[in-house]
Amino acid sequence: MNNPHHLNPTSLKSRFTTRFLRALTKIRAQKPISSSSPTEIFRRYRRIKVAADKSMAYSVRSRRIWSRAMLWKLRSRSYRRQDPCSGRRSGKTNQAIMKKSSNGNITRRREDGVGFVEEADELRQLVPGGETMNLCNLLDETAHYIKCLTTQVQVMKKIADFYSF
Amino acid sequence: MEKDQVFMGEGLNRAAAAQAGWNSCSFGMEMETDELNCVGSCFLNPKWHNSMDQSDPFESALSSMVCSPAASNAGSTNFPASGDNTMMTDLIGKLGNICNTGDISPQSFIKPPNNNNNCSSNTSCYTSPLDSPPKLNLSMMGGNHILKHPSLVPVSADPGFAERAARFSCFNGLNAQLGVTEAEFVQLTRVSTNQSIMVTGSQVHVPDSNKNALQNGNSCSHKRNSRLSRCSSPENGDSKDESSISEKIPGVGSSIKAQNDANARKRKSMPRGKAKETPSPAAADAKIAEENDESTAKRSKQQNDSAKAENKESPKSPEPPKDYIHVRARRGQATDSHSLAERVRREKISERMKFLQDLVPGCNKVTGKALMLDEIINYVQSLQRQVEFLSMKLATVNPRMNANTEALLSKDMFRSRGSLPHSHYPMDSSVLAFGLRYQPQQGLPMNNGISNDTQIQFSMNPANAALHKTQGLQLPPVDGITDANPQIGSFWDDDLESIVQMGFGQNQPQSWQNCFLQIHSIANSYRDS
Repeated sequence: MNNPHHLNPTSLKSRFTTRFLRALTKIRAQKPISSSSPTEIFRRYRRIKVAADKSMAYSVRSRRIWSRAMLWKLRSRSYRRQDPCSGRRSGKTNQAIMKKSSNGNITRRREDGVGFVEEADELRQLVPGGETMNLCNLLDETAHYIKCLTTQVQVMKKIADFYSF
Repeated sequence: MEKDQVFMGEGLNRAAAAQAGWNSCSFGMEMETDELNCVGSCFLNPKWHNSMDQSDPFESALSSMVCSPAASNAGSTNFPASGDNTMMTDLIGKLGNICNTGDISPQSFIKPPNNNNNCSSNTSCYTSPLDSPPKLNLSMMGGNHILKHPSLVPVSADPGFAERAARFSCFNGLNAQLGVTEAEFVQLTRVSTNQSIMVTGSQVHVPDSNKNALQNGNSCSHKRNSRLSRCSSPENGDSKDESSISEKIPGVGSSIKAQNDANARKRKSMPRGKAKETPSPAAADAKIAEENDESTAKRSKQQNDSAKAENKESPKSPEPPKDYIHVRARRGQATDSHSLAERVRREKISERMKFLQDLVPGCNKVTGKALMLDEIINYVQSLQRQVEFLSMKLATVNPRMNANTEALLSKDMFRSRGSLPHSHYPMDSSVLAFGLRYQPQQGLPMNNGISNDTQIQFSMNPANAALHKTQGLQLPPVDGITDANPQIGSFWDDDLESIVQMGFGQNQPQSWQNCFLQIHSIANSYRDS
């Protein structure tokens, strides 16, 4: 980077960073950090993790299968938390859809003709929304997912380093 | 008649002299038809009698001339009937005109214009069998020289000579020597209808003729292509070795042969050639010639380098992707649509695997898709755990957040963007190895022992001791991940110690450690459940 202070506003990294920082401030504003009880910290940890995932998914929008799946998961989870009844309903329909498609794949035992079924299944579990993809798409999504994860890690590391002074 | 016979004999004698150079031609194997058999067999087999059957005197004459081993036989038995002699003499006269002019239509050998270069290319193509070099050296310009070799004259007279010449262009030695490109090949076929085969030892002329013929040929090639493409359809069905989804590959080579004769042919060089790319239809003919060349590569002294390089570049790859991918089945592979589609899929997958290989550090050494997939899985898992770890770290950090810090943070983050990825991976992996049970393929029981307890009370020293203990254990698996071996130790010492001692901001180190371990164990149990 020639100009360190001039960042590309549309890059994935900057989008994620802004969103994540906003979420972080929101979380921190909610509860003071004075209490160091494990449960509190754990709760906050969960919230931060969700915020990280959410901001990453929103940065990618719906361009990728994994981001769409992640957004759906987050939304369904939040629905379930807020209102159990409504969450169940929406969750059910969505889950039914997901299950149908994923079951179709799983029961068919996706033999893609290349013999990587076990590894591919494992990868499918790692990548959000991976159950619904064939191997070809799965590899695509994995590549993009890895890229986004590395971005996420970099940004969070920077933030953590900054705060750990 | 006698004179012609004498000339024929002369030609045959010369052919015999030049036989040594001719032996490398193996084209004959590909030809199954009657006419071709004689030609082929004459190269493979000194005794041939099939050509007797030919009604076409000129072809038999040519065959006889070309088949040097059978010179004696040919001379005696194959010379055409007297009625043909008149044609021969006519042709001799016309050859003079033809050679000096530029253009030749396939059907009419009377048409004058074909430029000298074409003449040269044509003649030079047929040079080799009869080539005892200096004597047979006809200049390209010289229609006069034709007279020196009237024995060759009758060959060209036949209107259907183009087809035969096309067949004979499979005389690989000829083409190989001349580096016949598509244009030349086309010119050959055209010219051959109109002129006799002028024997020239003029290898010297060939390079020039190649270029010019190429230019000329390209302009005229479309006519030839249309002819070829018409015949291509019956040919495609014959091919056992290839099928083509692509419409850009009209099977030119096969169509050329189809022109000449019956469909069923052995195409020895064809499958090999078919597997090659055809960058353009224009170059397809060149490709055919090139295929023939390469099957007898010994003679390829004066190849047209560009065409050859192009064709040899990726002999077995599919065509560059267009709207849809044109895929050509390779030799010996099934050609039904299912297997072809599957092959396309497999290639897509391998392409993506290569891309992933670049993305995942340390994947270069790993060979084999399964192992690479394992590496990728490990990497994704490690990244996810890093995110968790960092979020936990952020949860415990004391936020000194205000507007300024946020701005500073952004700036700081992007300032050192370039230095990040690789250096952090080893560091993170070492940290993770401590905290998050990152397990490479070797696995690490020690780490499990640390994090499985729900209530872990570590004081500073035992924790450090544990850290140091695990450090040695961690290094080998971490080495497997990255190459940054020497860095890891320093990272471990510096960063982790600093983290441990300083804690996060104002937290006391001991409480932090306790917190962290407890939290992490809770998190793990939560996650695993």
